[in-house]
Amino acid sequence: MIFIVFSLIHIILPSPQAMAKVYIGGSHFTQAEVSAIIVKYGLSKPIYVQFFSYLINILHGNFGIDSLYKVPEMYLLDKFIPITLEFVIIAIIIQVLLGLLTGSVAASWRNRVPDWVIKVLYLIAWAMPVFLLATLLQFVFAYYTKVLPPFNIANPLLVPPKTITGFPLLDAAIEGDWTYFDSVLDHIVLPVLAIAFAGFGITTRIMRASTIDVLDKDYVKLSYMKGLSRWKVFRGTVFRNSMIPIITLTALQFGFAIAGAVVIEEIFIYKGMGFFLYQSTVSLDYIAILSTTLIIGISVIIANFIADILYAVVDPRVRLD
Amino acid sequence: MNISNIFKKALGSRKDVDTFSKKLPENLSLWYYVLHDVQALTGLIIIALFIIWSIVEGSLQIVGDYLRNPALGWMLLPHNPLAPPNYALSLKPPSMAFIFGTNLEGEDIFSRILYAAPKDAMAAFVVVGIAILVGGLLGTVAGYFGGWLDEALMRITDAFLAIPGLILAIALSILIGPGFYSVLVALTIVWWPIYARLFRGQTLTLKYRGFVEVSKLFGANHLKIIFKHVFPNAIDPIVAYAALDFGTVILTYSTLAFLGIGIQPPYPEWGSMASNGLSFFPGVWWYTLFPSVTILLIVISFILLGDKLQDIISGRLTY
Repeated sequence: MIFIVFSLIHIILPSPQAMAKVYIGGSHFTQAEVSAIIVKYGLSKPIYVQFFSYLINILHGNFGIDSLYKVPEMYLLDKFIPITLEFVIIAIIIQVLLGLLTGSVAASWRNRVPDWVIKVLYLIAWAMPVFLLATLLQFVFAYYTKVLPPFNIANPLLVPPKTITGFPLLDAAIEGDWTYFDSVLDHIVLPVLAIAFAGFGITTRIMRASTIDVLDKDYVKLSYMKGLSRWKVFRGTVFRNSMIPIITLTALQFGFAIAGAVVIEEIFIYKGMGFFLYQSTVSLDYIAILSTTLIIGISVIIANFIADILYAVVDPRVRLD
Repeated sequence: MNISNIFKKALGSRKDVDTFSKKLPENLSLWYYVLHDVQALTGLIIIALFIIWSIVEGSLQIVGDYLRNPALGWMLLPHNPLAPPNYALSLKPPSMAFIFGTNLEGEDIFSRILYAAPKDAMAAFVVVGIAILVGGLLGTVAGYFGGWLDEALMRITDAFLAIPGLILAIALSILIGPGFYSVLVALTIVWWPIYARLFRGQTLTLKYRGFVEVSKLFGANHLKIIFKHVFPNAIDPIVAYAALDFGTVILTYSTLAFLGIGIQPPYPEWGSMASNGLSFFPGVWWYTLFPSVTILLIVISFILLGDKLQDIISGRLTY
């Protein structure tokens, strides 16, 4: 993947001059600055030399210096990643639970009222642009009924607890700072709802299809023949079997959720990685954009790996000996 | 049954392909099913209107550009979508004169939505079209020949698929530079790997089918087999997937525009219109709501149609 990113950059920006502009960031620079950068970063060296130095640097966690904040990129990412990860993970858990529920309800009442209601809901959820969804949520809960705060991670008047893990909720809980914990919890609800609602449509759809598939299987008929009640068959046999595709899907959804987080964090001014990425696109901070992209790619790969392991836990048939 | 009949059948039509779980009865066409389904029909009508409008409006814009007479581009619209700022008309609520209200610069939102439509249609069709061609070619070749070529291509697509599409598109279009075409290029780069995956999956199931084996026996070369037998048979389920995908492209495209990447002002774009309206949101609801609802409507139509097509043509796609 690093290779892909590297080659894409070099295909798009073939000359050292163009590359140097990337390192400066922004749009104000002089010719002398450009030449200085070319010498400093060895941009006129052969491409394979550049590739290996890039690779080695990234493996050491060195993504370069942020051209806006003038600090190493890793320092910023270290701060922002846990914030985003926290609410994306909570959102995905909610979304999967919701999707499993609505999907199985829709499948067991196929082509009747509950199915239609759920279909309308998930179609809207799926097709709605994330920004519209987030704005509506913000309007309804924060401005109209005023039950939840409209933006920020936590009440800015409170002193944040010391950083231990980087995850705001976890940190507050570890240090027993419950007022801060409460405040974070209040602020996290809307972004989580937005991401969960944006993603639950596809989960529902797949769950419905897979449940319908499983309901036709012989082993379900066998369970009925054994005299088990409808509920027992559903819980014991149908649900477990139809859950399998959801695991793969959830790993894929993780990527979509992070992409959605870019928009959602911008609307809720929730200062995590997505907000950072948005800021970088506005200020043309190329290095920040590239390193964020790489980090997100790596985290999606990790999510897929976890999904593979979960697969074996849920479905004994794919377990390795 | 004599032997030439068997060969004809094996070599012949696409009706032999029984990988699809729901086979169409011979006498009914695909259109029959689409036209007799309320949801798919609704989707189809909205999409048809959208496409016809985009073609008419798009060609007017192109002709207008060519003749250096941009006014031709808004000949059919009630108001000039690119009018110079007129703050007397700023932020007017929907009325008879301005059906969807006006924006901060006093431009008619309805006209701007219609003016932006061809660009969205073009983005969807160009991106998915090129993705199908490039992905289809690479995926079919990878699946057909297998071996190291397959491995290499699939690792490349894996790497692409690992990075969420929206984020890679942001990074690429920022690197290429601002503008409509850079977004198109970025989206195309992001979009082809999924089609390569789909085509490879289809090719793997088709590779050992009778008609491919038979044409090998007849001495057909690889190129002919790929283009005459594998590709046409693989494409049906993928078209159904693509119908769904048009909606996704429009959604991604407008999200990019929302983030300020893509067509630059004063040219209208649904996503950026919604984004501009956000700062006035609760009071001036029409500014954000109408462009967003347009996106919603178009995407839902594509999903409804694509869903039905997928039900009809294929059972399920394999990667």
